[in-house]
Amino acid sequence: MFFQQKFRLLTTLIGIIFLTLLFNVYNLQTSDREASLVSVNKQTLDTFYIPSPRGEIFDANNNKLVSSSLEPHLFLNLRKINDNNRSQYEQYVKYNFVDLSEDFIDEIFESEDLLIRIANIQNLNFDSRQSLASLEAFEIFDFPVRKYEYNNIASHIVGYLGEPSFEDARDFPLSINPNIVGKSGLERYYQDDLAGIPTEIIFKDDEIEQIIKGTPGKDIFTSLDIKLQTIATESLLQGIELANGIYETKNKVQRGAIVVLDIRTNEVISLVSLPDYNPNNFIDGISRTEFNKLNISGAFINYSIQGQYPPGSVFKVVAYWLAEEENIYPEGLSSRNQRINCKGSLSFGFDDGSQQVYNDWKEDGHGNVDLGSSIKQSCNVYFWDIALKIWRDYEGSTAESILQEYAKNLGFGTATNIDLPYEADGVVADRELFENWAISQPERVRPEGWLGGDLMNLIIGQGAITSTPIQVANAYRTLISGNLSYPYINKNRESQPEESIGVTEDFVNFLLKDLNSVTNEGGTAHASFSILGNEVKDVGGKTGTAQNSGDKNNTSWFVGVDSVSNPRYIIATVVEEGGSGSAIAAPVTRRVIQSLREMEITPVKFGEITE
Amino acid sequence: MRDRKITLLGPEGTNLTLLIIFLVLNFISWLTLFTLSDGLSFDLNNSLFRQIVFTLLAVFLFFAITYISMDQINQYTFPFFGLITILLIFIFATDPKEGVRRWYDLGVIDFQPSEYIKIALVLFISKCFVENYNKVYIGAFSLFSISLVFFQPDLGTTTLLIVITLSMFLVSDIKIRSILFLLLLGGVFFFIFLEFGLINQYQLNRVTNFFETVDFAQSQSRLAISSGGITGQFFEADKINQIFIPVQSTDFIFSAFAYQFGFLGVLLLFGLWIFFFYRVARIILTTNSEFEKFVLAGFSASLIFQIYINISTVIGVIPVTGMPFPLLSLGGSSIIATSVIFGIINRIFIENNVVI
Repeated sequence: MFFQQKFRLLTTLIGIIFLTLLFNVYNLQTSDREASLVSVNKQTLDTFYIPSPRGEIFDANNNKLVSSSLEPHLFLNLRKINDNNRSQYEQYVKYNFVDLSEDFIDEIFESEDLLIRIANIQNLNFDSRQSLASLEAFEIFDFPVRKYEYNNIASHIVGYLGEPSFEDARDFPLSINPNIVGKSGLERYYQDDLAGIPTEIIFKDDEIEQIIKGTPGKDIFTSLDIKLQTIATESLLQGIELANGIYETKNKVQRGAIVVLDIRTNEVISLVSLPDYNPNNFIDGISRTEFNKLNISGAFINYSIQGQYPPGSVFKVVAYWLAEEENIYPEGLSSRNQRINCKGSLSFGFDDGSQQVYNDWKEDGHGNVDLGSSIKQSCNVYFWDIALKIWRDYEGSTAESILQEYAKNLGFGTATNIDLPYEADGVVADRELFENWAISQPERVRPEGWLGGDLMNLIIGQGAITSTPIQVANAYRTLISGNLSYPYINKNRESQPEESIGVTEDFVNFLLKDLNSVTNEGGTAHASFSILGNEVKDVGGKTGTAQNSGDKNNTSWFVGVDSVSNPRYIIATVVEEGGSGSAIAAPVTRRVIQSLREMEITPVKFGEITE
Repeated sequence: MRDRKITLLGPEGTNLTLLIIFLVLNFISWLTLFTLSDGLSFDLNNSLFRQIVFTLLAVFLFFAITYISMDQINQYTFPFFGLITILLIFIFATDPKEGVRRWYDLGVIDFQPSEYIKIALVLFISKCFVENYNKVYIGAFSLFSISLVFFQPDLGTTTLLIVITLSMFLVSDIKIRSILFLLLLGGVFFFIFLEFGLINQYQLNRVTNFFETVDFAQSQSRLAISSGGITGQFFEADKINQIFIPVQSTDFIFSAFAYQFGFLGVLLLFGLWIFFFYRVARIILTTNSEFEKFVLAGFSASLIFQIYINISTVIGVIPVTGMPFPLLSLGGSSIIATSVIFGIINRIFIENNVVI
């Protein structure tokens, strides 16, 4: 039975209780307000942030590339340091931590911070830690220690850490408080994921009032193969050393890059850039001179995605694709199998009446060549003939820049969107760009504007074209797989749908066969690849030797395919001022392919000089 | 089932006042969380977005529950109570989180059966009263399920459950002196538990410390409420120093609300709840169903006591007790349990043909 009477009584009682509660709140908000505002203004709640352990980075075989661990560190609570106890603490720190420099100790005690980290006390025993903790201005907190397990290897991929600059603070506002940010590589690209949430230590005056524990960052699982990365780095170093021993050039050869992509997924298997650095050296701050030395050598530039080079003959596959797709062959030819006679030079007249002579790299000429053998022997004349045909048929019309369109469809001229920061775009020039440059950067172009000669240069990857090694590797990957997408390192990166470029299976088979001929008997890279023995029949590639202006030696290129029967890897190698592609970049690539095919790995040997 | 005259919003309908109060309270929660967060982003780590998702779920539940008639609820009371009790037993088999066993980890969300024992217990006691079971047995069953919560341990919810049980017994035909006897018995048991160390030292410390030191969170939240003044900081151009309060978006959210919207805001919030309870009380006095009377009384006791404990904690008149403010605090479990209560109350309203 429900008793209405008792219910009414209870309701009244509750009403009274709530009125007193409301009255309490009213008092707080009116009569107590002045006093509260005073204490709010006086309240100096400050927060000190300790970074959480950053996410760890793994390679495809679960090898830890970058690790994080929490180790106890000694901190000094500067709010508790006053004139009376200052010298006592100074003596204490000097006596117990002999490794610390005088300057650093002075800095500690002059700091305006709340807390300052003095030293890692992981190796101190329990008693020593206890005695430290008993001093009231000392605090012990866990502080993350970052370790780059492979030192210089893959340094451009993982990147390094540092204090955020003004720009970093703008890009990653959350990095200000723990005062640490990824400066390059994955550390920067995935800064927000890796960093986690810092631990907050809340001070009320000089006392620690509360500690809010942060959360560690997320781990990153990459597609890299650290074993291959190590071998590729060695190979590139050998190639650079070889080039330095052979050429007598003004500049010392020291820069280069290797990109290895998985053709099926477009995962990045290796990405080498030289010179490199050891990210561990940045953990406790690096000296100015050391930093400048690295900076001048170019160690902070990731040449595999930032180095912009004319691609030279490796670019010929663009015209190769165009010829097949549009049926544009040298004048008088209508199929890939018909031949022209290459005499080593091409002379012709343009409509404007100018007479030109273009000389192939091989003075005696390549003899009778078709599309396939022009790739095999890297014959320029054949491709110049295609450029002439385009120019004569389409000059001035929109179809004039058909070669550039094909290049752009393969990703030239725009960043590939790999998950690393600071990627360069490269340039694919056409009439329009020249006209823009004539206004914005007149020193870059001739007053006549875009001419037939520019197209002739472009078709063999010279002149007004630059590309990054990753772009070149991605372009070959696109042609062979038939799909354009962006290469990626983080396996959990949101993947972009593959965009079909519409090549036929027949075309890909022809392309692979012709690339295969390059490393075989009569091909430009045969000398460098013959050491593979019978297996050379299953690999392919394309050499490239790009001329530079001034007294710089040629840029040495090679793009390898492993294998031809089952296309799995693209390997793009570039050695800045490495000279002929078949002499330096090809044997470097060959050594990487030996590793991919699990063969015996032989040293990089100088190949044959061709283009 | 009784004849229905008018329905609003759908075949089973809703009481408009109840729905509006429910939505406005949720909206107040959004607004308060908005002032606490860095704004809205469509990401479940963003507290405001989470709360909005929970609200949408709650509104859905509110309407879904309305489709269950009181006869059906009456019919399923015992199985429901049994199920929740079993879940409370099996929770002791889970891994403790920060020393307590309170949740089932369901991946995306955590399921907290102690939120639903509040509902199950009210329904259980109501049905037992209506069917005139022996009061001693009813008390014993209730005490058993309450003790399961006690040993999780969850002192806040335990107190709430005891208060719900006591209030429901109080409005029944039980004699006052029996209740006094029960209270005495409870006191004796408390000291027996204490003697055998069955009460967590941590919880005991919280109570004893309250009389010795000032809790940091409470003193901070008093400052926050106080500096809200009459009109609050929300519409002020020159804001005062930010006041740091731990767990402000959950248990201490009332302090953020009072800080932002001042005493006028507090009056509005109280007004909404008082109006709600006034409407509920009117139904209690007019409905013919004993079951409905007890259910409404039990739910009201539950909500009123939660609000009372929460505000008392936040203004520092009792020791810190982890009790969320219904429909204001951030947190899915609390909102969803409260929306079930609102759904049942709504059903009772429309079965009594009260639609506005």
